[in-house]
Amino acid sequence: MTASLILFYVYAAVAVIGAIGMVSSPKLVHAVMWLFATLFAIAALYLSLGSEFLAAMQLFVYGGAVTVLVLFVLMLARPTETATSKPRATRTIAAAVLCAAFFAALAATLGGASFSHDVAGAHDTAQLAQILFSRYALPFELAGLALTIALIGAIVLAREEDAE
Amino acid sequence: MITLNHYLVVAALLFCIGLFGVLTSKSALRVVISVELILNAVNVNLAAFATYVAPKEAVGTSFVIFLMVVAAAEIGLALALILTLNKSSDIAAIDSISQLKG
Repeated sequence: MTASLILFYVYAAVAVIGAIGMVSSPKLVHAVMWLFATLFAIAALYLSLGSEFLAAMQLFVYGGAVTVLVLFVLMLARPTETATSKPRATRTIAAAVLCAAFFAALAATLGGASFSHDVAGAHDTAQLAQILFSRYALPFELAGLALTIALIGAIVLAREEDAE
Repeated sequence: MITLNHYLVVAALLFCIGLFGVLTSKSALRVVISVELILNAVNVNLAAFATYVAPKEAVGTSFVIFLMVVAAAEIGLALALILTLNKSSDIAAIDSISQLKG
């Protein structure tokens, strides 16, 4: 068992524990904090894959922006989760059984599958920039456009009452 | 030695936990953050495949970037919707939001 494998298990454990904490914590703020732990661990997983750019983006976009955005909405909207908003026990059990069965099927398939992989090697950020700005230049621009439209839509939605 | 299958199983586990969150939560904000978890699991899959199966070209890595953009757009719109719904009614229960107009 090499050191990298041990580190991988640590990252994976943090990610999974954070995810379980997210779905099981009764308070929404705590759920967001658990989600942050999971996102942080996923950034570490990207680092273990050798994609340092993805790890940085994961921390900026998810760890920074998304978490803070959700916390801001939580602060502004103050959604009250009362006891009646708790899901029924039968529904929770049914969902748990369904998800466990789905995971069992996935793990049985993926765990034993063998892929024809080349020698594992990470590509550096220069290669990513090369392909992003040459072959995928048009999708890249469209992604920027989609993001702009979504943000304008978000502003329009959130300011709806002022227009009336 | 970490293999591709390690990453795939971890991503599948994260995906299933996110799915469980979407299925069981009654608050709209919980559904949104569970969907974020699902998208992150997919991102881990893409990055792992990019490193192990196609190390010569950074195709999978660029897909992760695009998926992050789409996820950011999605969460921006979703949070705006939640704020708007919160003005008119209590968003605590998504089951109570049964009509789009009115």
